[in-house]
Amino acid sequence: MSGRKMRLISLFIISLLWVDAAAQDAPAADTLPKKERYGLRVGADLYKLARSFYDKDYRGIELVGDFRITKKFYLAAELGNEEKTTTEPNLNFTTSGSFIKAGFDYNTYENWLDMENMIYVGLRYGVSSFSQTLNSYSIYNPNPYFNEVVLIEPGTKFKGLTASWAEVVAGVKVEVLSNLYVGFSARLYILVSDKKPETFDNLYIPGFNRTYEGSFGVGFNYTVSYFIPIFKN
Amino acid sequence: MKKLIFPILLLALLPSCEKDDICDPSRPTTSRLIVTFYDNDNPTVPKNVNQLQVTALGMENPYKTFSGVSSIELPLRTAEDVTAYRMVLNSNDPANDNTDVLTFTYERQTQYVSRACGYKTVFELSPTAPVALGDADEPDGLWIKSISIENYDVRTEDETHIAIYY
Repeated sequence: MSGRKMRLISLFIISLLWVDAAAQDAPAADTLPKKERYGLRVGADLYKLARSFYDKDYRGIELVGDFRITKKFYLAAELGNEEKTTTEPNLNFTTSGSFIKAGFDYNTYENWLDMENMIYVGLRYGVSSFSQTLNSYSIYNPNPYFNEVVLIEPGTKFKGLTASWAEVVAGVKVEVLSNLYVGFSARLYILVSDKKPETFDNLYIPGFNRTYEGSFGVGFNYTVSYFIPIFKN
Repeated sequence: MKKLIFPILLLALLPSCEKDDICDPSRPTTSRLIVTFYDNDNPTVPKNVNQLQVTALGMENPYKTFSGVSSIELPLRTAEDVTAYRMVLNSNDPANDNTDVLTFTYERQTQYVSRACGYKTVFELSPTAPVALGDADEPDGLWIKSISIENYDVRTEDETHIAIYY
């Protein structure tokens, strides 16, 4: 073996060792605890806000917030107020009231590097306190014969109504600017309690939306929120 | 097993998502008065009517002409507590027709039904004078021999409210 060959081989081995060492360096850096930021994120539902402008029968606001408590879990809540007039073929009524929802979100997304996006599922319990005003109704008569005025406008207000429900949430939150997030969530509601007026029904519940004959309901929100870092871990 | 959970969840939701925008005709709303005719000589046997034309007093057009049925439906006024009907038997035969007048008296109550149907009226026949029998303006004798109240509560069309013997 010539001296030249020997030098080349030893260089190769050294380079291999160097690469190996470099490769060993990377995992070493990775095992260092990643800086995870904890804090409060507050925002609002843009859909309710926008709808208040373009829909004359609707006025509503929803504030959202979450607080990171572990790597994956966030305490989460929504708080809002709605006033909505609903028109049906035989009914017209206005629902007005406030709601609060509280629960948690679980982040299922493994972020790269120091990204803080979320693809999450969550649970909430919601309660609402509201009133229903029956603006007008008609007496349904499948066999009309008499020329009767069937539209009645009582304007009766049913106050002190309440409802509560459980909520399953699935959504995303993406950091679009430093500490500024946009999010979307879809929600499935299951009505737990429903205090109805004696001579009417809760066809719309603030925070729950439209009710159906069963106890299920659906909803969504489109949020913009701001993250306030409180500590790092 | 996990793959099954989602379809099952969807199935559980389906009944609650059915369309409730249209008032279901099978749902009891404002009910008509059900009158059943019986043979006066044999009071347990229903007797079909022939060309029975019914017109509410105050209305120009008859509500209907019933023939070959023993049970008929009469709409009640939902804005007044009294509805009277001119009942013309054999109305297609001017030589043989006979007119009697029935006056029903009741109390009304408005009840909530559903999102699509709105409200309905339920009637309760007056406990003292539910129905009065009279002859036509030009008396031609009474074809109705007797009347009995089977049900004072008029809220479904599934049962007879008034039985008439002739």
